[in-house]
Amino acid sequence: MCIRCDLSRRSLLIGGAAAAASLSTGVAEARIRPQDMVPLVGPGFKPTDKDEQGLWKEMERAEEEIAGSNLLVRDAALTNYLKNLIGKVGGPAAQDFRIYLARIPEFNAMMFPSGFAVVFTGLLLRMRNEAQLAGVIAHESGHFLRRHMIRSWRDMRRKTDIFAIGTMLAGVGGAAGGVYMGDYVRLAELGTLLSLFRYSREMEGEADAMGARLIEQAGYQPIEMSNIWRQLIGEQQASAAYRRKRRDRGYDLFATHPAPEDRMADLKADALEVTVPGKAYETGRERYLSAIGDYRQTLLDEQVKLNDPGASEYLIQTLALDGWNGLLRFYEGEVWRLRNRHGDDVRAAQSYAAAVVYPDAPADAWRWHGISLMKAGRAGEAKAAFARYLTMKPNAPDAAWVRQMMG
Amino acid sequence: MSACVQTRQFADVQFTPPQGDYKLLVLRPDVTVGSLTTGGMVEPRADWTDQARSNIVAALRAQQASRGGRVQFIERRTELPGVTADEIADVERLNYAVAESIVIHKYLGDYLPTKRGKGLDWTLGEDAVRLGQKSGYDYALFMHAEDQVASTGRIVLGVIGLAGCFVGFCAPNVGGATQLDYASLVDLKTGEVVWFNVVQAGSQVPGIKFGDLRTPQGAEQMVERLLGRMKPGAAVRRAQEAR
Repeated sequence: MCIRCDLSRRSLLIGGAAAAASLSTGVAEARIRPQDMVPLVGPGFKPTDKDEQGLWKEMERAEEEIAGSNLLVRDAALTNYLKNLIGKVGGPAAQDFRIYLARIPEFNAMMFPSGFAVVFTGLLLRMRNEAQLAGVIAHESGHFLRRHMIRSWRDMRRKTDIFAIGTMLAGVGGAAGGVYMGDYVRLAELGTLLSLFRYSREMEGEADAMGARLIEQAGYQPIEMSNIWRQLIGEQQASAAYRRKRRDRGYDLFATHPAPEDRMADLKADALEVTVPGKAYETGRERYLSAIGDYRQTLLDEQVKLNDPGASEYLIQTLALDGWNGLLRFYEGEVWRLRNRHGDDVRAAQSYAAAVVYPDAPADAWRWHGISLMKAGRAGEAKAAFARYLTMKPNAPDAAWVRQMMG
Repeated sequence: MSACVQTRQFADVQFTPPQGDYKLLVLRPDVTVGSLTTGGMVEPRADWTDQARSNIVAALRAQQASRGGRVQFIERRTELPGVTADEIADVERLNYAVAESIVIHKYLGDYLPTKRGKGLDWTLGEDAVRLGQKSGYDYALFMHAEDQVASTGRIVLGVIGLAGCFVGFCAPNVGGATQLDYASLVDLKTGEVVWFNVVQAGSQVPGIKFGDLRTPQGAEQMVERLLGRMKPGAAVRRAQEAR
């Protein structure tokens, strides 16, 4: 009967290791100060303890699976960019890290125990500049540099050991003394569990502090790390508001990660602490935009198709804080069109019309602009828009249909 | 109560165990050996895993040679000439999904009415046939073995649990070492999964052993349990009995 549970125990180990290090959402205890965060590993680190060697061995296979996964983005320019970035903010282990980009439209990145990181494409969409992306990557590097995976594994092993022995002794001792110890055992179980989560949050705090230190050293604007969390809180609120729900604040005793609000506040304090007065810091926005280049359209496309108009709209508005362009206007229109509530067709038409004014408007913006004009009965203008679409995309799969629409 | 070994195999109705001159491809036996901590977690051990893996490979080679087969082990996906790493990865992943489905519908009780009386009716399809054509092998064997060795702390815990029985708090089934192995044999000419076997061994009392993969004897015993008693499929058996 145990084939599945045994298998899942193994995947749980891999998953658990990744989850322990993943950067998603979640009570910060006292803030950990960046100056106390000294890297615990040097260049070319290889484990020497038996338990850590075992963990690395498991990860070898995990990495082979991930490296060969068809979810990975193979774009050489983009993956090289990420590799260079982790090389810049990876501290002493910078040259040992491997980094993979997975095509998953969610805000996440994770570091595995043996020093390879996986970044989701959803993260690239949300980052406004290179400093923000460097912040997330530095946070992940921090997990490795502070040896979090093996430390949390040992912590978990120690606590479950103590609990197992304690339960057994309580049971046997209680029975010998004629007392029922069950309630205390329950309490101890909860205590063990809670202390595990607390340990995990502490490590997230460490990684944040370490990350702030690393990006400051690399010359990036330290406050950008705090801004990531401000953006995430805004996005979650917008997404929840649209669904008429309250945002899950991720603030409870069972959370593996500190609440975004706490992280935002702590990172802000970290940033003030690490900032050297008079030193010039950059955000690297131009470099970031040219690195993600044409891929930004794919990122936006995947986001708007998630059927989460609240979040999508917020994200587009946030990205547009750095200036509107044809691409962002077009996807703003797409959010309305796909939401399809009363009046959304008009909103979408306005966005498409605004998009085509910019020189970088994608071909599809002209197509949808044409369709909106057609619906509004402005056939002549529609025709011109369609013609523009066909010149931009002569081999479009729907070219025949568009020609027919043009009459 | 102390230790039990369970094994249950399924075969394609038309299956005859390979005999004589056949070429078998073993896609890297997937082996993990870990230590079962006092608290019940499994701590993977790299040295034990390597030891167990080489023992299993040696035992498997010896066993297949006695049947007349030629065996080739693939440690890395890049090792097979003429076949790309991606193609092997695809077959491996497909096999993983199919094996999971076999386990659900054959072992865990979600029996499928459409597959009743059909023996083992699963296939890896064209991908496996292509692998056979490109590599020239007759069969592919996928093997998974995981072994958990009870740590001293776990054994002590079991002893306290048993001792407790004398004072009225009886916890004899703490759970000790467990081993789980499974193997699936795929006919690379048809792509069909022709034979599947699961061996599960476990001792409820930590400290009782039943074949440790870290020793050559233990690995031999495991390979024998898993692959030694390969039975022909139902149709073949009936035909044999009729004769």
